[in-house]
Formats: sequence, structure tokens, C-alpha cells
Amino acid sequence: MSFSVLVCDDSNMARKQVLRSLPEHLSANAQLATNGQEAVELLRSQAFDILFLDLTMPVLDGLGVLQTLKDENITPAIFVISADIQPEMQSKVLELGAKAFLRKPVELEVLNTNLRNHGFL
Amino acid sequence: MSDLNLNEDQQDCLQEIINVAMGQASDQLARYLNTFVYLKVPSIEQVSTISLLNMLNSNENSAAVVSQGFFGYEGIRGEALLMYKPKDSDRLADLLGYEPDELSVEEQIIDLSSILTTTFLNVFAKQIDNQMSYSAPRLLAGSQSAISDHLAQQSFNWDLALKVKITYQVTDYSFNCDMVLFIPESAIINIKTVIDRILEEF
Repeated sequence: MSFSVLVCDDSNMARKQVLRSLPEHLSANAQLATNGQEAVELLRSQAFDILFLDLTMPVLDGLGVLQTLKDENITPAIFVISADIQPEMQSKVLELGAKAFLRKPVELEVLNTNLRNHGFL
Repeated sequence: MSDLNLNEDQQDCLQEIINVAMGQASDQLARYLNTFVYLKVPSIEQVSTISLLNMLNSNENSAAVVSQGFFGYEGIRGEALLMYKPKDSDRLADLLGYEPDELSVEEQIIDLSSILTTTFLNVFAKQIDNQMSYSAPRLLAGSQSAISDHLAQQSFNWDLALKVKITYQVTDYSFNCDMVLFIPESAIINIKTVIDRILEEF
């Protein structure tokens, strides 16, 4: 089964880190966004099954993306991958509808466990 | 000096390593202050030591400076300075809520700075397969000559400094501080080597 994937992070290395941690059926056709605004525009124009989302980003940050998607009822499965690991931030993103919070640098095991838990593996 | 400049990929890699280190340092800060800290993307720039000292000399209003040395493997070492502006160090004192009989504001600023510096550098080191040890943090007199003197006393020459501008916004307060890592040329070359090793994996 194949799923459409969007990876949103302002760091090229962080995007690659996510891509190389994904199984091939998810990474092969993954699309990339370099800030929150780009991600929102892509999400408005096409449906994605999974969004990997950074929080601290220029233009529109991750919280802004979560709020926008919530307001516009756009509902990919969202996995937040962030260096901002404060407990309050983790609960905030979960309240805004993210499936899970993963700390940076993302680990392959953790990522795959989360994907499995939500039926993507 | 051109050997020390970072290309786009190296800069991106360093930025990401610093973001992760910042995130964990801010988490510690939030726990210490029992509050939530809004993070911004930290700006990083390489500055020559001379231009940095000139900047310090021309900027008369740096109030509190806490300095702490760090030592890792592979010649990665340096001196970390946390610099607070007067307005911000006052806010910090408010935020820390000085109580008589407790630690003085100075001691609290030293504690706070050391938490930020060591958490930041521990996480930074871990990501480049290194491990740091530290000297005791010291509060320097705010005057620029005191900072210059302190740097001049170090056992190695500062060729370049890595300046990481950190902005913390705490719920009701906002303060800025600059974390400046003074790193000798040999250590910068080592850091670049490690960054290239990381980049090769991608």
C-alpha cells in the first residue's frame, strides 16, 4: 500500500534525515517543503496521507501550520519532529491534532514505531 | 582563513546541530524558570576575534558576562561567553525572583548561564561524537577591558569565534543573550571534518 508523504523542515539535512529513515515505499515519492507556508500551499492543492513537520521555522512555523490545517479541516496524519522538546510544546502540538511528537535528531526506530502504531507500516 | 569558511551544506548541518542543542538548552531553561520558552531560529555567524573584540569595545552596555571553558576530544575546545545586556539582566533578575537569604542574583545568573552553556555544549558534542568537560563558570565584570583581559589570559589564541545569537522569550518577559563560542582555528578545522563526515552519510 502506498501513502503520499510531505516532509516540512527548513533544514536540508533534517529533511534528508527524515527521508533516509523512512521505508522506501514512503520515501520514494515524498515531497518537500522548506517552511510552513510552502507546506500549507502544497496541502491545499493536493491530499497527503502523512506530514512530517518541524516547529521552529521561518515564514510560518509548525504551530502556525497545525492551526491552519485545523481551521481548514485538512487532515493528514501529522508527526511533529522538533528540537523544541519542552513538555508544554509537546502537549500543544498534540492538542492541535498531531499524532505524535518526535524529538530531533529523529531516530529510525522511533520513527518506524510511530508509523507502525498509526498503520503506515 | 578561507579554509575555515563553511559552504552551504556545512552551514546547514551546523545550524541543525545547533538547533537541536538550543532546543535542549531551552528545555532546561524552561524547567529552571518553571515556565515556557518561545524559541526562535538562532542566528549563527563566524566572526574574527579582532572584530568581535572591537564590537565589544564599541558597545559599552554589556552588563553581565559569564565565561566558561570547554574541552573535548580531537582538539575541540574553546571558551563560551554568555553576554546579557543591562536591560535584560535586570529582567532576568526579576524573573529569577531574588529572595534574601537565597542565592544572590549574580550567583543565579552564573547558574543559569552554566545550565545553558553546558546543556548546549553537551548536546552539541554528542551529535559530533564528542564529549565535553568544563571549567567553573565565572562572572566577568561587564567592562570590555575585563573581557579582553580574560580572553588574553587564555592558553591559546583565538583565531575565529562562532557567535550564536539566542533569543529567549519567556511568557511575561523577554530577554536576549548572545552565546559566543570562542574556538581556536584547529578546533574549527576539526569541527568541519566531523561535519563533512556527517554529510557524507547522506
